[in-house]
Amino acid sequence: MEVENNTNLLMRDVNCKLGIFTRPDGSVFISQGETAVVVGIYGPIEVKLHKMLINKASVETHYCPKSGTPGISDKLCESILHNVCEAALVSTLYPRSSILIIIQEMQNRGGILSCAVNGCCLALLNAGTDMKFLFASSSCGLDDEGNFHLDPDNLFLEKATASFIFVFDSVGKGLIASHTSGSFNLAQYQNALELCKKASEGIFDFYKCMIKKDLQDKI
Amino acid sequence: MAKQFKSLHPTKFYRDYLNHDIRPDGRLISKFRPVIINIGSIATADGSALVRIGKTTVICGIKAELCPPKSERPNEGFLICNVDLPPLCSSKFRPGPPSDLAQITTRFLADLILNSACIDLKDLCIVKEKLVWCLYADIICLDHDGCIIDACLLVLLTALKTVRLPGVEYDAAIDKKTINEDEQKSLSIYNTPVSTTYAMFEDKVITDPTAEEEEISSGLLTIVVKNKELCSIHKPGGSPLSEEKLYDCISETINHADLLITLINTAVAEQND
Repeated sequence: MEVENNTNLLMRDVNCKLGIFTRPDGSVFISQGETAVVVGIYGPIEVKLHKMLINKASVETHYCPKSGTPGISDKLCESILHNVCEAALVSTLYPRSSILIIIQEMQNRGGILSCAVNGCCLALLNAGTDMKFLFASSSCGLDDEGNFHLDPDNLFLEKATASFIFVFDSVGKGLIASHTSGSFNLAQYQNALELCKKASEGIFDFYKCMIKKDLQDKI
Repeated sequence: MAKQFKSLHPTKFYRDYLNHDIRPDGRLISKFRPVIINIGSIATADGSALVRIGKTTVICGIKAELCPPKSERPNEGFLICNVDLPPLCSSKFRPGPPSDLAQITTRFLADLILNSACIDLKDLCIVKEKLVWCLYADIICLDHDGCIIDACLLVLLTALKTVRLPGVEYDAAIDKKTINEDEQKSLSIYNTPVSTTYAMFEDKVITDPTAEEEEISSGLLTIVVKNKELCSIHKPGGSPLSEEKLYDCISETINHADLLITLINTAVAEQND
């Protein structure tokens, strides 16, 4: 399955494959340019006693880097993914259970966090877990001349003065998460937000397209 | 009665208060807690500070060591910060390896120092390829009552401003270091990033939340500014926020930043006198 993204958005090509594994309830392989992640969802499943919540499901997120054990930068990534998924899931429907989200980094060529967030949303859709809204992430970078680049790769990010990652929801188009690096002014932030918001609409269309295709294949 | 109601229905308890635009501790929704800065709290450290935001208390000690630089960056020193959230500061933390929050805060601070360029690591170089300063900034939380990032950043910057490094003469031929304690030089801090945290509670945005408020909130937002410029807007998930509210928070932060910077500068100036 492959969809060429709208070229005027200037995003890297997004490809994905749903249901790649048999054991997880939902799984997805997603790549954005050369950045790729695999996401698997188990849930609702049995919960360990010390993590049990009586009024809602406990959401567990594990971000596994390509090699080695997760470092502190992976923890930051993991906490953002956890908070985004927890906000989107209707966890009150599954009290005393757990929803396990495993994100495996395959290759990082810049924008791994946005790719992982989009992967999580597709995997949750694939698993059929109840959600309040969908979420989509896009990133952009700012070069030293003040030009914005949507979905930058690692070569651009090395030289960039600032980079922005946003996560939006599908219902009110509100901002779920924002993570930035570098220094910038308010106007630049507003521009980046607008740019990424537009790009995220393309991603929501991509989700729709992918799910439609997946359902048609099953028939 | 209020006490029982609070423990049984914490969300409803807060909602009732916030509907009247007031918080259980008597603050208005957009009111900051008082900030106290004390410097030179640890006499044995090369630089130290203690910060209190409301009841949140953090202490930072900076230790300077001499070491050889990394070969890929031969003219840069090191600044290694570490945030420790011991079990003493809150019931949320257990003894053992650093909690996720401690690791995330450490990483966030390290990123901020890099992004804001408030300190130039080249200033820490003594002899290129041979000897540089390595600053270990250990931040320990004594009382965790919300806004840990704000407190850590404030204490780190204040402590950095109090650092006094002795003069070092290095003879590369015989690898001999001579430390001149009479010559005390301070670090150049090029700008002062300061942050404020907001908590989302239903459709309201609460300024400077306490630990209790953070617990019941549906998401946090941390804004870091330096010299009227933005340094980081960190919202690690949580419920969606409209752009107008976000921009309101940014302008509020910019206004509050002046006060915090004045506070740091006053504290540091008193030490110099």
